[in-house]
Amino acid sequence: MEIDALPNGNSPAATSTPSPATTPAGSTPVSKAGQLSESLKLEHQFLRVPFEHYKKTIRANHRVVEKEMSSVISGVSQAADGDLSQDDAVSHLNSLVSRLQGLKRKLEEGNLAEHLQAQRCKARIDHLESVDLENVAEWNNTRVKRILVDYMLRMSYYETAIKLAQSSNIQDLVDIDVFQEAKKVIDALRNKEVAPALAWCADNKSKLKRSKSKFEFQLRLQEFIELVRDGNSMRAITYTRKYLAPWGATHLKELQRVFATLAFRSNTECLQYKALFEPKQWDFLMDQFKQEFCRIYGMTLEPLLNIYMQAGLSALKTPFCYEDDCPKEDPLSQESFRKLASPLPFSKQHHSKLVCYITKEIMDTENPPLVLPNGYVYSTKALEEMASKNNGNITCPRSGLVCDYSEVVKAFIS
Amino acid sequence: MHPLSLSLVCRFISPSLSGEKKLIHCNMELNTIKDAFDRVVKKQKLSSSKSQDMIERVSQEIEQAISRMQSVSGTTSQPDHKEVLAEVKTKLKEISPLSQLDNPQKELSVALNKYPKILEKFFNPDISKAYRNVDSDVHTVNQILASHFYREGLFDIGDCFTEEAQEPEYADKKSPFLEMYRILKAMRSGDLEPALEWAAINREKLNQNGSNIELQLRRLQFIDILQKKGRDEALKYCRKYMTPCAHVCMPDIQKLMACLLWAGRVECSPYYDLFLPHHAEKLAEELAQQYCKLLGESYESPLSTTIAAGVQGLPTLLKLMNVMTGRKQEWQSMKHLPVPVDLAKELQFHSIFVCPVSRDQASEENPPMLLSCGHVLCKQSITKLSKNNSTRPFKCPYCPTEVEVGQCRQLHF
Repeated sequence: MEIDALPNGNSPAATSTPSPATTPAGSTPVSKAGQLSESLKLEHQFLRVPFEHYKKTIRANHRVVEKEMSSVISGVSQAADGDLSQDDAVSHLNSLVSRLQGLKRKLEEGNLAEHLQAQRCKARIDHLESVDLENVAEWNNTRVKRILVDYMLRMSYYETAIKLAQSSNIQDLVDIDVFQEAKKVIDALRNKEVAPALAWCADNKSKLKRSKSKFEFQLRLQEFIELVRDGNSMRAITYTRKYLAPWGATHLKELQRVFATLAFRSNTECLQYKALFEPKQWDFLMDQFKQEFCRIYGMTLEPLLNIYMQAGLSALKTPFCYEDDCPKEDPLSQESFRKLASPLPFSKQHHSKLVCYITKEIMDTENPPLVLPNGYVYSTKALEEMASKNNGNITCPRSGLVCDYSEVVKAFIS
Repeated sequence: MHPLSLSLVCRFISPSLSGEKKLIHCNMELNTIKDAFDRVVKKQKLSSSKSQDMIERVSQEIEQAISRMQSVSGTTSQPDHKEVLAEVKTKLKEISPLSQLDNPQKELSVALNKYPKILEKFFNPDISKAYRNVDSDVHTVNQILASHFYREGLFDIGDCFTEEAQEPEYADKKSPFLEMYRILKAMRSGDLEPALEWAAINREKLNQNGSNIELQLRRLQFIDILQKKGRDEALKYCRKYMTPCAHVCMPDIQKLMACLLWAGRVECSPYYDLFLPHHAEKLAEELAQQYCKLLGESYESPLSTTIAAGVQGLPTLLKLMNVMTGRKQEWQSMKHLPVPVDLAKELQFHSIFVCPVSRDQASEENPPMLLSCGHVLCKQSITKLSKNNSTRPFKCPYCPTEVEVGQCRQLHF
């Protein structure tokens, strides 16, 4: 076990020379910069989401170009192979030309949309670059707002999200438009409509397939259940043939289970099947959608707020936080924060970290702790100031003991 | 710079990448990311302009075909419309516009696939790895958020939020801060009356807290009056408001009276710094601090503080998860974090004593004890070192002094 070399306590004349090995790195500019760059690495979602959105737009626009172009070319082929009169040929070709004009316009519009999204991606990289030791307080404030907007969007509090983003002009730094795409699907699911959700699945087919998602299957199952609920047995069966059968290869058990609902009515008392008819199933679908959605865009499944708060509460949690005289600056002095922190682990320290009760400053070798005759400890700075204003007298703010400055003893803490 | 302090500064730079170097390193990586993205944009523009080209060409070919078909057909050497169609079909096949789009698209795809890989290299791709699946009551979180908005002066947003979240109106959280911002707003536009009213009402408590903010406000107002209304008004003001409490603020009154001598030529006076505009802002900050103190609230929003702690702690926790793969159950149920999380000193609210011998954290059952040599150990360590014999002296592990158990005093940090 290594014992750090401490200055010899018995020589009061020894001035405190800071020993480099034991001086805590605390708040020197060196470590603040290190902390800054570590914190930037947490911002994957910040850059990834607008990029995925950009990529999607690019691909979608290009698909339109390919489709239209290929239509026009085959239109020409058809005319050449067919048997049209001159007038018909001319009008056919004219229609093809105007289709191309339309395509040109769409391409231009698409370019504009892409440009805006690219600007947004760049603005975010710039934002990350812009932080330095001078503006860090403001930058951190912006981060808190970004985290709050993310929370509002995930909880579907869109008004609040928009207002908050506008108030600090951070529209480029948050993903409101991406979530509004999700809003359509979520609102529809809330109204027990699956159409927008299915359209979304079609749009993101390849990505959903790659992640082996069964979300589309679950949507189809729900539609089936609704048909059964309405008593439309025949339609339910045709629906199964068309939409559910393809999933039979991979999800046979589940398909069988849901298909069996045909044998029951929607007011069945059989618990297993009653659950399938519950309106809660729609909530489940909404949650599933949110998860798939976040996965596709490279977002965390949990709101950023929860992630940061859990880490923060755990880092701050000490047994002393729960005492009555816990300083108000500690968030864990408040009931609501204590409640959130209760299932979380306590923090742990390997080295002593001492805070002066009076000045709230760190007591270290530069501001060593001094001990009163009754064992209460305060920083040198605090007691020196108190003594200088009170004729060399010191009054302990907690116990009331009065003594002379000469009676305090220095403590040596590693 | 003093040579001794320079060498100390050098020692602070650890052998691994120092903080300053880390930030520079960061910027270099961000530049790489920027370049990769610029590449995507470039390839996209190329692909797009190729598409435009092809649309143009196909359009032209078809338009030419149309004009050829419509040209005056008199002589038999003019091709008939069927031949024109066949020609255009062949021409389009030759140009093969769709396959011309292939190459730019391929290059674009390469760039589009490379970018997220670069992102994953620099950033931590999944910061939710350390997240514990515990129930967090939505209402508690919402209450915290609403309080945060009101404390930050964002009253509209706070109201919008409580409505959308269908939470009850947190009037008791809102009104104290409404009042505070009203006072601050007035202060910032030059009207110190609301602040003075508040200070007068709370005079006793402010004194108890050791704050002289009422005096500072009077001082600021005096300076303001001196600058705007002249000597006589300023003197009247001082006689009315400050002389009655001369017993506590005589030095200030003396200074302010001396300022009268320099009215109009403030820059020459030795007190010119009292006239600088930043005092108003600083005073506003101090008022906010005292206000919050009287409310029993913290000055910083507890939500911001917690998030700051999270930002500082999360990298450590995520690194920890790398060694805890497959031990999710252990992670979910542990009572203490297994590694220390270093927080900045502004986030140190409690004294934590760690015994240098046993590495245990001090607690009520195991308090820190001061040895007669000045070193501090926890009680259990002392018991062990003295071999459970409270009459025998033992050697302090740090210095050669012999200390007696009875002489050890309990410390209260």
